[in-house]
Amino acid sequence: MSDQEKKAVDRAEISKMLEKKAPEMKRILNYCVHCSICAESCFLYMSHDGDPQYMPSYKVINSLGKLYKKNGNVDHEFLEGIKGMVWNNCVLCHRCYCPIGIDIPRMIDFTRSICRSQGVFPKLDEGESWL
Amino acid sequence: MIIAERKPFEEIKEMVKGYKNILNVGCGGCTSICLAGGQKEVNQLNAELKKENPELNIDSLVIERQCNYDFFVDLDEKAPKYDAILSMACGAGVQFVAERYTSIPVFPALNTVFCGVDRNVGWFEENCRTCGECVLGDTAGICPVTRCAKGIFNGPCGGTRIDGSCEVDPDTPCAWTEIFNRLTEQGRVDKITEVKPPRLWQNQVRRTLIQEDYKARYAE
Ligand code: SF4
Ligand code: SF4
Ligand code: SF4
Ligand code: SF4
Repeated sequence: MSDQEKKAVDRAEISKMLEKKAPEMKRILNYCVHCSICAESCFLYMSHDGDPQYMPSYKVINSLGKLYKKNGNVDHEFLEGIKGMVWNNCVLCHRCYCPIGIDIPRMIDFTRSICRSQGVFPKLDEGESWL
Repeated sequence: MIIAERKPFEEIKEMVKGYKNILNVGCGGCTSICLAGGQKEVNQLNAELKKENPELNIDSLVIERQCNYDFFVDLDEKAPKYDAILSMACGAGVQFVAERYTSIPVFPALNTVFCGVDRNVGWFEENCRTCGECVLGDTAGICPVTRCAKGIFNGPCGGTRIDGSCEVDPDTPCAWTEIFNRLTEQGRVDKITEVKPPRLWQNQVRRTLIQEDYKARYAE
């Protein structure tokens, strides 16, 4: 069993982290108009034939957005489940453009921090890749 | 990507000696991938330092990149609370951290060794010395700067051994023999006779690159 499976999720810690970023999160959840301009500026989305899993807004709404809606009330499985979305599906290149000013990579970066705080991150030494 | 390895523990211990409140900052980029300075390695180093000195307060923070200030939001908040910072990024990252918090000493926990490729998990090979004038198009994709002991642009040097190894080291294949063989395989061995003029070894000075489309933005 690796370190990552051992650690129990500290929900209070996650919700504290979420609270600090609440204004930024509200912006994406309330103001994203699904215009898909961010999608077209993401090279990963374009190179995956428009697979929605790579759409910048989709990645944030389905990882951080869910975490926020559940107020951090998630289990280890949930974090493992979003791990691929925030590591494999985004390289944090900061090239996506949102006309409303939502900083998508910043949100993905923050989601990674939440995962890290709970001991969830790519097990590179066990052959897991994130690209 | 950039490949680094951890400095010997004794050296790290010596650098941070006397500091009681340290933040060890990992990098979620290259040094995570080369298994030198990611989350796991940060945790490991902290445990070792703590074991050595139980009085020490050492915390950890992994930011996704230390070479881009867009990722420094959490670090900006934490850094001022410490009297020293250890960075587990490459040398570029360490300098970027040091430049941002000039009143706090920043120490490198890694040695940055090269720009290379992943051969397998934990196995990396140097492939490029970032010379700034890439000749791979004429050398069948084999870098003479990195892989020829003399770094010559017009080879081979005349010291190639009969078995195709380099005169400098019998265990190292001669890069120019490999270039010759691959160019032959591709039917363009004539490339090897094109003499390259002496090059400007400009990488002795610090280089800055602004991509063509962005020149106007930063002009002034
Ligand atoms: S930061 Fe992520 S979402 Fe934005 S363009 Fe790069 S890969 Fe796509
Ligand atoms: S700081 Fe260095 S190790 Fe980290 S992502 Fe940037 S180049 Fe790679
Ligand atoms: S010639 Fe070699 S060192 Fe120079 S840029 Fe090309 S690969 Fe890198
Ligand atoms: S033998 Fe080949 S690799 Fe060695 S120095 Fe000469 S040309 Fe370079």
